[in-house]
Amino acid sequence: MTKPRQWTSLEELEHDPALQSWVAAEYPAAATLEPVARREFIKLMAASFALAGLTGCEKSPFTTALPYVDQPDAATIGVPRYYATAVTLDGYAQPVLATTYDGRPTKLDGLPGHPVNKGRSDAFMQAAILQLYDPDRAQQPSYRNEPISWQDLVGKFSALRDQWKATQGASVRLLVEPYTSPTLQRQISEWLAEFPKTKIHLHDPTGLQDRRALTAAAYGEPFDLHYRLDRCGTVISFDDDFLGPGPHQVGNAIRWSEARRGEGKPGIHLYCAESIPGATGAMAAMRIAVDASRMSVLADTLAVKIGVKAVAAPGLSKDEALWVSRAADAIRNAPDKALVTSGLGAGRETASRVAQINQAIGAPGRTLAFTKPANDLSSSGSFAALIDDIHSGAVETLVIINSNPAYSAPGALNFSDTMARVACTIHIGQQRDETGSLCTYQLASTHSLESWSDALAVDGTATIIQPTVTPFYDVRTDHQIIEMLLGHGDIAADAPVKETWRARFGDVFEDRWRQALHDGFVAGNSAPVIPQPQNSVEAINADNSGEVDVVFRLDPAVWDGRFSNVGWLQELPKPLTTLTWDNVITVSPGMAKRNGLDNGDHVEVAVNGRSISGPVWILPGQATNTISLALGYGRRRAGRVGDRIGYDAYSIRPVDYPWRARGTILKRDGSSELASTQLHHRLEGFDFVREVTEQHPALPPPPSQASMYPAWPSAKHAWGMVIDLDTCIGCNACVVACTAENNVPVVGKDQVIAGREMHWLRIARYYSGEPETPHSYFQPIPCMQCEDAPCEMGCPVHATTHSPEGVNQMVYNRCIGTRTCSSYCPYKVRRFNFYDYRNAPESPEQAAHNPDVTLRSRGVMEKCTYCTQRIEAAHAAADKEGRDLREGDIITACQSACPTEAIVFGDINDPNSKISKLRRSGRHYALLEELGTRPRTTYLARWNDSPDDTERT
Amino acid sequence: MPASDILPVNQTIGGVSEQLTGIPLHFPARRRWLIAMTIASLLLALFVVSVVALFTRGVGIWGINVPVTWAFAIHNYVWWLGIGHAGTLISALLLLTGSEWRNSLNRFAETMTLFAVVCAGIYPVLHLGRPWYLYWMFPYPATMGVWPQFRSPLEWDIWAVLTYLSVSVLFWYTGLIPDLADARDRAKKRGWQIFFGVASLGWRGSAVHWMRWSQAYRIMAAIAVPLVVSVHSEISLLFAASQIPGWHSTLFPPYFVLGAAFSGFAVVSIIAVALRTMFDLKNLVTERHLDLLGKVLLATGLMTAYGYVFEIFDVLYSGNAHDLQTMIDRLTGAYAWTYWSAVFFNFVVLQALWWRPARRTPWALLLISASVVIGMWLERYMILVTSLYRDFLVSSWSKFTPSFWDWSTYFGTIGLFLVPFLLAIRFIPSISIFETEKTLADEKEAHHG
Amino acid sequence: MADASYGLLAEFRNENELVLAAQSARREGYTSLDAFTPFPVEQLAAPLHFRDTRLPRLGFLGGVFGFVSALAVQAYVSWAYPLNVGGRPLYPFSAYGVVMFELTVLFSVLFLFVGLLYLIKLPRLNYPVFNASRFRLASKDRFFLCIKADDQKFDSNSTAAFLKNAGAVTVELVPS
Repeated sequence: MTKPRQWTSLEELEHDPALQSWVAAEYPAAATLEPVARREFIKLMAASFALAGLTGCEKSPFTTALPYVDQPDAATIGVPRYYATAVTLDGYAQPVLATTYDGRPTKLDGLPGHPVNKGRSDAFMQAAILQLYDPDRAQQPSYRNEPISWQDLVGKFSALRDQWKATQGASVRLLVEPYTSPTLQRQISEWLAEFPKTKIHLHDPTGLQDRRALTAAAYGEPFDLHYRLDRCGTVISFDDDFLGPGPHQVGNAIRWSEARRGEGKPGIHLYCAESIPGATGAMAAMRIAVDASRMSVLADTLAVKIGVKAVAAPGLSKDEALWVSRAADAIRNAPDKALVTSGLGAGRETASRVAQINQAIGAPGRTLAFTKPANDLSSSGSFAALIDDIHSGAVETLVIINSNPAYSAPGALNFSDTMARVACTIHIGQQRDETGSLCTYQLASTHSLESWSDALAVDGTATIIQPTVTPFYDVRTDHQIIEMLLGHGDIAADAPVKETWRARFGDVFEDRWRQALHDGFVAGNSAPVIPQPQNSVEAINADNSGEVDVVFRLDPAVWDGRFSNVGWLQELPKPLTTLTWDNVITVSPGMAKRNGLDNGDHVEVAVNGRSISGPVWILPGQATNTISLALGYGRRRAGRVGDRIGYDAYSIRPVDYPWRARGTILKRDGSSELASTQLHHRLEGFDFVREVTEQHPALPPPPSQASMYPAWPSAKHAWGMVIDLDTCIGCNACVVACTAENNVPVVGKDQVIAGREMHWLRIARYYSGEPETPHSYFQPIPCMQCEDAPCEMGCPVHATTHSPEGVNQMVYNRCIGTRTCSSYCPYKVRRFNFYDYRNAPESPEQAAHNPDVTLRSRGVMEKCTYCTQRIEAAHAAADKEGRDLREGDIITACQSACPTEAIVFGDINDPNSKISKLRRSGRHYALLEELGTRPRTTYLARWNDSPDDTERT
Repeated sequence: MPASDILPVNQTIGGVSEQLTGIPLHFPARRRWLIAMTIASLLLALFVVSVVALFTRGVGIWGINVPVTWAFAIHNYVWWLGIGHAGTLISALLLLTGSEWRNSLNRFAETMTLFAVVCAGIYPVLHLGRPWYLYWMFPYPATMGVWPQFRSPLEWDIWAVLTYLSVSVLFWYTGLIPDLADARDRAKKRGWQIFFGVASLGWRGSAVHWMRWSQAYRIMAAIAVPLVVSVHSEISLLFAASQIPGWHSTLFPPYFVLGAAFSGFAVVSIIAVALRTMFDLKNLVTERHLDLLGKVLLATGLMTAYGYVFEIFDVLYSGNAHDLQTMIDRLTGAYAWTYWSAVFFNFVVLQALWWRPARRTPWALLLISASVVIGMWLERYMILVTSLYRDFLVSSWSKFTPSFWDWSTYFGTIGLFLVPFLLAIRFIPSISIFETEKTLADEKEAHHG
Repeated sequence: MADASYGLLAEFRNENELVLAAQSARREGYTSLDAFTPFPVEQLAAPLHFRDTRLPRLGFLGGVFGFVSALAVQAYVSWAYPLNVGGRPLYPFSAYGVVMFELTVLFSVLFLFVGLLYLIKLPRLNYPVFNASRFRLASKDRFFLCIKADDQKFDSNSTAAFLKNAGAVTVELVPS
């Protein structure tokens, strides 16, 4: 396809001869206009084209392009093609299977058969696709914020290279974020070969390197830790939310759920000491809220109990002591199946102590695996060092590769101004973001889905990233750009990657290359090693300034800010708080009481001299003297979606140890309305979430429900869904997957505040018990597909009826919007288009839509359909092959995303199907059973494995 | 009640005819009427603006959300329809029971019914997400090949309201024909003569016509009574047929019908007092009438109060956790103010009517009736919102705040009611002439004989 | 001249005089009578020999029509579109009930109204009696008895005399 020419100003466009001739053809009247009027006219037209991202007389690439990577011989329009590739998070590969329609990627799912994610996914992976269609992406390279062609750049670079040569690159700095790409590695070493004096610096807002620093402190050298949760019976966690969001979430969740399912009773029990409530604590058998800075004290005490020689810890509170002894008991019962972990918030001292405990119980090699970092970045200079060098004037050229330090660097370093002292700054990135806009060169790079590249998964398994679509814009892959900088010209996108792998694959390159592209990964991961921990735990002189622990957390929705412009994620209700479109300062109920705080009240948080202010949120179960700040908000150049939302926690982030600090909190005037999708979280004594214990492993059988009506005959198949509340970690992967699959619209903050979010699948968050020590529960609530559906009976126009296979169908084009169905729905799972929530017709996001799912117009009700389009597709496929539907032919979007396989969909008429077996389980129950709606979506009760067997719900 | 001294006998039936036809023919209260009409027209304009905004931007301009997908549209629908009921009850029920005092009230009561039902009827249309597809609710061979779904209470609504509207119109017009003839014969100006001449269809008061007319009129009345009861029972099914706590109760049909009559009689009292002073009708709408209206108001009010009591008893007796939660929420929750102010405006103020002077003092009756109208409005609001904003699942609990457009649409419908009503009392006899004459004649009879 | 007339219109002060006059006219053997009154006067039924139940029967017919058509439409929808709606029965007669009742009422009233107009031959804006000078009062406070010219016992003079005796205030010959 011909690439649309890009413009920067309407003036430029308005002089575009192509456009002029087109206008002349399309709007003859315009020709008769006065020259001035005509200029205005074209300007206006240009403005509207600009929105469409089209130039002159070309059509929008989003609506007409068939940008096949290699045009297939027989391409049937409307039949999807699949690509095995990967997107990245924190430099790690997240292997995906990308679904493309007519050459446009529309859906990402985990890559089946991949050793780490086994076809499962998380919210970030699901949402990555929307970044591809982000209308605010950098659409062409620019020089001093003026557009420039790649050809011209090649020339400019050669001039630069001559300067660098003079100093052997001594004046050059490369700034990278943690990455795993072998090709980038190769290119950087090539760079060093050419400019030996060049220094590499690492900017690491998400903590990969900090985590390695912890292991380095504990074991003498950096390692990557891998929890073998599938082999664990007991896990003790000190502020380590290993089931929470991040590159490790999917792998950990899969292993944990495998162990958890056990035989007839939960096979793994978690003991969590948490400062900030997280998914791990919510699933724990015993959880205790402890201030971040006290974690080491508990760790010490545990060490003593386990028999690790250590200083006896100062006194613990009654609860703390109880927790430690219970944890110790659990370990002693089966030390060979025990694992102790600690998180960034717990700090270095805790990490070292934990290493000793693990050593003592023989965890290494059994429940804990170590690998040497696939790309050890510890040799590279720190970010602070770079700042010093710049101040010392030693830096003339700074190349920033896929990083946004102007936003995500600790505010104290004042990077933006410092960078201004560098003569030549080069930014390689997808967006002309806070950093890119300040740089001399902003080199627009491709999204993974349109790139040739490579990356390693968390276990070291390599994936060769192949493009699923030709770039929409005038952009290049990172590798192409670096090749340019190295003076190799504007070469083909796959050349650098092939070069890397030709060296690795050797003479069988072609076959293995094709194999790798087909499989989506290259077999073989980093070899595990078993290191010795250092005996001395370096005593950190605890920083006791300030009054409270301030913990810095990456945001579960926008992470470190890289997803700020992704509407799906902004509107994603964050785990536990269910907040959208904002970041908050979470405080404990106790602290709220002390400072007279209410949700939304503004507070000022100060950390060594710098302060930010934002709205508070009272989080049940948070440690009394700990407050948490969420990174990733307060962006200034994220785009139309992500700009100017929330506060910027980076601005007060400490430089030395950016995860925990001491600070002060002060109530300020004013408060803001927060967009929470669930206003009430207490269970109020209802049994929506039920529990079983090992003493009583089965729920009482449901009361038989007489009906005055004869049952309707079922078709051969009867679809149903069972959701296991015992393995749902509330990770939101299903919610985003549903959004992506079913074209669920994003409605914006004000509409969420009005109570009009559109998610077909919501995760209800409940807690029971005291706000200080709550038990948290997650309950995904899709449509219950009731067999005796109250909603259907209410519809006056037959717009919602029952399919013979028992699916509660919604006929959008028949709906007149009486909303009776929603009023009658006891589960309130129906969603209504109060306004026209669809994207603007020419918005790039249109291209991300699933063509198999209707877009809903204003005034129409919509709801979960069990992914009816997938059911129908499976039927069609089966019919073509002249066979009957088989178990596994139909996987709903939420089911395929769920990392813990908590969601099971299937045929309840088939007694041998997985779902039928689950429905016979003693934990099986229906929500609001007493209403007699006979839901097809049912639940498995949660195990209450609390060692003291307290009745929780 | 027997034809005893409901009307002062110091007047002739000819005088009654002159006086009542005189209202349209030589309109007595031009200035007051113009003022009222101006206000009404402004409200109507507000209604038009609100509807334009609604149709261009969608129901999102209202405060509704999920779970409160129904609010003002439905609750005002119920409120207006309830008001309408009094007209039919007065003219039909009291006709059958031979209560002659209703003869001074039935005409404007029925007129009020017509336009109240119009206001009610327009709401389900505005309420729709896609109002331009309203006609899909009617059974016709649709090209889509889909027909209405007759199990839906909303579908029943359409039929109930349309039937009620048509029957009210026919009943009203049938009763009006002889009076139009009277006005025709009293009219001096040509224009009036043509207008009334055509409208009265050439009625000449032939005894045979009168007999057929009486047959028709009495049968219509006999049918109208069960119709009224059925219509609001059916409206209540809109709620009772769901499973939502606070709605799902067998109490609802009588509860709604009584509430409807209650609010309706309140409006009739207001109009009675207003017209009485506006057109100086003290000789026809006597204190006796007000007294009787007051008694009916009190009676229906107490029956409605019984509904309140029984609703609570019902919940406590059933012991259903969700119903209980909703009830407690109604009494103490975020919208408790609607419940308690409904109780106050409906029942506390009402108690004054035990006191004879309060019933016979026009302004007192007016104020009490006004309070009842407000109270019943609050009751409908309470029933709608408190049940929806916190139904079964805690995770779907939400809140509701009416938006500007909610209010503007509502006040607009008051204009939609007032404008045609004011036109009606301006151009047609607003009190049944021949029936009043009959009452008077019978009374004179009784006095002589 | 006589055959050119419609009849004799006699005016009375009140309903009783009218009723008495009508009864005596009946006794005299007059058969083609009509009366015009401001409001219905039941006692005239006997002297005018009115016993017609067609209208009530029409009303009943309308009711039956509405009842059946409502049942038919709803049953047809269920029959033509056998959809599973919330697991409810395909032919939910309890649910049909409402619309059936409503239509019964609607058509019954419609039949009554149309039937009424049909039987009393209205609208008809002109009619001989309107030509009588004092007939305007028939809708106000005067009661008129009319002995029509087509009565075989009718004779303008004797009949007029008879009416005078019966207590008529005025007697007027109404041209046809």
